[in-house]
Amino acid sequence: MSKPNIENIPAGASWEKTGNTSWTQCPGCKGWFHVGPGILNRPEVKLHCPHCSKDFAQADAARIIRAG
Amino acid sequence: MFRPAQAISTVHEITALQYALEKQGRRPIVLIEKPVMANGKVSDIPVVCNLTASRALVAKALGINDHRSAAPIYAKKTGNPISPKIVSAKDAPVQEIVLEGASVDLGIIPALKQHNFDPGAYLTAAHATTYDPDTGVDNTAIQRCWVKGKSRMSYYPYPASHNNRNMRKFWAKGQNCPVVFWIGHHPAVLMGTQAKLGYPESHWSACGGLIGEPLRLVPSRTFGDKIMVPADAEIVIEGYAPKDVLEADGPFGEYTGYSGPQVAAPVFDVTCITMRKNAIYHDYGSGLTDMLVPDNMAMEGKVYGLVKAVAPSLTNVHVPAQGRRFHAYMQFSKPGPGEVRDGLTAALAYRRLKMVIAVDDDIDLFDDSEMMFALATRVQWSRDSFTIDGLSGSLLDPSTAAGAKTLSKMAIDATFPLPPSPGAPSPVPPRSTVPTSAMAAAAKILEGADMSAWPTL
Repeated sequence: MSKPNIENIPAGASWEKTGNTSWTQCPGCKGWFHVGPGILNRPEVKLHCPHCSKDFAQADAARIIRAG
Repeated sequence: MFRPAQAISTVHEITALQYALEKQGRRPIVLIEKPVMANGKVSDIPVVCNLTASRALVAKALGINDHRSAAPIYAKKTGNPISPKIVSAKDAPVQEIVLEGASVDLGIIPALKQHNFDPGAYLTAAHATTYDPDTGVDNTAIQRCWVKGKSRMSYYPYPASHNNRNMRKFWAKGQNCPVVFWIGHHPAVLMGTQAKLGYPESHWSACGGLIGEPLRLVPSRTFGDKIMVPADAEIVIEGYAPKDVLEADGPFGEYTGYSGPQVAAPVFDVTCITMRKNAIYHDYGSGLTDMLVPDNMAMEGKVYGLVKAVAPSLTNVHVPAQGRRFHAYMQFSKPGPGEVRDGLTAALAYRRLKMVIAVDDDIDLFDDSEMMFALATRVQWSRDSFTIDGLSGSLLDPSTAAGAKTLSKMAIDATFPLPPSPGAPSPVPPRSTVPTSAMAAAAKILEGADMSAWPTL
């Protein structure tokens, strides 16, 4: 079950390009940065905004757009 | 060597200089004598970059006259390992200065913030040496390190790497993982650490094979002879990766030419920094030619050995920097029936490669216009190309499907058929050429001509 701030990109047909990169929006500066599947599977690890250096939990992200 | 006189910032500016050089097709070694750190101070430690951007210079460092012949020679040299030699601390320049306890400060190292999206300054040429707790055998690999404080970094041992395996073993035993990072050495030693070995297998002897003499090692200050470090390195950082501690690391500009995503990475607590009295900090431009060239030349040696075992007519391999680490060009001379496809299939099994092309010995592997000529005129696609899905590869490839664990790979046979019998011509048209004597005469006519205003495109 997705959290409200997580949007999943629906998978397409095998011949359709859907991309492989998930993006997160910082709740502080609203900057976007890309995150790997490994860290999204570990909600206990805080994300770090490379734009404003804010550390925040996934649940506090403004938005997460998840590929795959 | 290019030694700019002015102060240059470690925040993007040194990397931008490398991009500017790359755009001009120039590959000098660059020594920044006044690197300005993020806090505005000029570091006492100069920065060297672009050290390995030139194939010609890297080949020279390996004692090879022509970079085009690096593949078979690298394969031969790493196939004749020379055991390392242990020296005492007094004979180890890298331990001339020792910073321990409260003296430890990673801030003295002029690490670069290279690309947009990088969250801070990274060590990009830090060679992480760990060991397998079961056998004691060490492993060395380049691992990026994000400098997070005076004595803390995060670093990223890729999940499939041998250093990650060693770390997991220590953690499974309930122990922190000992790690030593060392920075700066002779380019041949740096390339020896890129030799693709089994697990567990030490890189020190491969380094010795490449430099033609035993690599000088010294026991690390923190771990003694459990982790040796190169005595002639520039800087060493010793410490532990505390058990099960993971923090966000990245995004980070990768060898693919794209910014890799933020990951959960181990952290590293520093116990000791040692360095030469006049240490130079070595930086690889991540994804730039100086990072790709030594690794790709090492790959050429590895692929040469793999393919030669099944296709003896293989004569050369080129892993071009413009293909990142994903493409290999292979050259064959008078291959037997099936040999080219055997060779192509063997090369595809090499994890990093995604596309391999076989050409004849009249094609210059190091000239992309020649490669395009071969592809344009010697390939019928349904007959001469094949793909294999589900092979291992780099998941940093931006074209992979989300969640994919394997790749789709392609091989192309761009060779011509052989003559039907010895002494007969091949059943293909001859290339258009002019006599060698006419070419020599043309070169003489052009000698001394002012070409500066002539269009190149």
